[in-house]
Amino acid sequence: MIRIAVVDDHPALRAGLRTVLDAEPGLVFVGESAGDDESLWPVLKRSEPDLVLLDYHLRHGDGLQLCHRIKRSVTAPKVLMFSAYASPALTLAARLAGADGVVDKGLAARELFEAIRAVHGGAPPIESPPRYALAEALQGLDERDRPIVGMLLDGSTEAEIAQALRMTVDDVDHAVRRVLSATRAHVPTATE
Amino acid sequence: MRRMGRAGRRTRDRLIEGDGAPWLALLVATRLLATAIAAVLLVLDPADDWLLALTPYGALSATAIALAPRLRASPSAWAFDFTTVLAFVAASGDWRSPFYLLWLTTLALPATHLPLGPARWLAVGSAAAYLGVAVGGGPAPGYLRPLTSETLVIHLTLPIVLVAGLAYARSVLLALQEERTRRERLAIETERRRIAWELHDSAKQRLHAAHLLVSSLQRRVAPDLEPTVQRASVELESAAADMDTSLAELRSPLEGRPLHEALGARARELSTDGGPQITVHGLAPPLPPLVAAHVYRIGSEALTNALRHAEATTVEVTLAQTDGTLRLTVTDDGRGMSDHPRPGASGILAMQSRAASIGARLTFDVPSSHTGTRVLVEIPAAAPKGASA
Repeated sequence: MIRIAVVDDHPALRAGLRTVLDAEPGLVFVGESAGDDESLWPVLKRSEPDLVLLDYHLRHGDGLQLCHRIKRSVTAPKVLMFSAYASPALTLAARLAGADGVVDKGLAARELFEAIRAVHGGAPPIESPPRYALAEALQGLDERDRPIVGMLLDGSTEAEIAQALRMTVDDVDHAVRRVLSATRAHVPTATE
Repeated sequence: MRRMGRAGRRTRDRLIEGDGAPWLALLVATRLLATAIAAVLLVLDPADDWLLALTPYGALSATAIALAPRLRASPSAWAFDFTTVLAFVAASGDWRSPFYLLWLTTLALPATHLPLGPARWLAVGSAAAYLGVAVGGGPAPGYLRPLTSETLVIHLTLPIVLVAGLAYARSVLLALQEERTRRERLAIETERRRIAWELHDSAKQRLHAAHLLVSSLQRRVAPDLEPTVQRASVELESAAADMDTSLAELRSPLEGRPLHEALGARARELSTDGGPQITVHGLAPPLPPLVAAHVYRIGSEALTNALRHAEATTVEVTLAQTDGTLRLTVTDDGRGMSDHPRPGASGILAMQSRAASIGARLTFDVPSSHTGTRVLVEIPAAAPKGASA
């Protein structure tokens, strides 16, 4: 039984997901949010999902930052990033934000179920993004934030990074947020 | 969009180059009035009877101007008109000539056609020419009483005021017209972005939801209904893909223009007085919008690089298609790549990533002339359509 919370700003998509998830044996829809702070955190707290299906393009907020914050919580659920524009830049950004997977919104229900089960079952982290996407993202970053990107991609936790770079965990956290804002600029959107 | 642009240009021509009906009517009427005044003055002064024979020129030239648009835009016609009427003034033996008003009207056409710079010379030059006729034809200024000298000053100031005023009005109209075109373009662009955002934000999300719902029925319905569900799922998926294409077109920097036109427009935007000369050759075949957008952005990045870093004097953009491969080259004769930041510079990286995402090959080398930089983008005919923006 996999408990799933859906974070997407479009009601039609949330309703659709609820219907298909509830109809699938082994998956349970436990809560939904449009991604705003008022509803998201209570929903996560109340429903204690195993996995969050998180839209990248949120109207009120930033899917990357949300992902990062969700993954910071003590009993962090798995996060499967959900986007209408899956691209190498997004894959990279999602990995930096600590997401456990990225799926395209155009997937058929069955493929989505497979992705959910794979991520929940501890599938290997998101495939490595192409080198050019990494190089492009590094361009926009502050010199001191670059090693953090490398370590994040290697799978280090923020605590490990803090220790390695002799920084406080909070400083690392701020740095990661900076990195995420900068990477976001490279991710194409509908209104590029 | 393009049709509007052309219409806009036509309006501008009509407004400014003196082809608009009211403006033309005013010009012709002024000329006829000036001719009539000359005729009346000559009739009242019986001493210069033979000069009356010159007055039909005013009426004839006004007719010619009204009927022949090409004559109105021809500098040699202006020069002929100007010189002829100045000769009439000289022939009348006094600079307080009955032909003075007619002579003033000969300045109207060049003043409304020339840019401000040359118009300044026209203003000063015409006054100087008139002064020359006044000095040569007498009564010379030295022999004049102060009152008549003042009249001469007025005679010489009027053409300057007239030319300056008309030329200034023309330049203001031009600037206004450009501003309007720019605003129209901006409004259209904003509107396209809004539509793109709405399509993405609402319609496409609903399509995704519908696709999810229908596809979840697969292998769950009676076997005889399975093909229907399968088909519906495929259709919904294709609809989402179609919408992606439309969205890409809506937010494309090409705005519905072919690639070569868009690149030409970009070159014009980037070219400056005294800067490198930019030429754009060749035609681009119709391309999938995403591919065209990427090639356009690679091309404009290469152009920007050549203008910014290369210290080039000429930049050549060429589009050519051979064996199904489209080649875009941007060649400059500047100081070459050796001093440029090598791959790693963000602009070049962005170009490489764009090329990679449409399956195109991007190479930098030295052109056959051995100086400068050549950027070559090779786009295979079957570039993947679904490449992400």
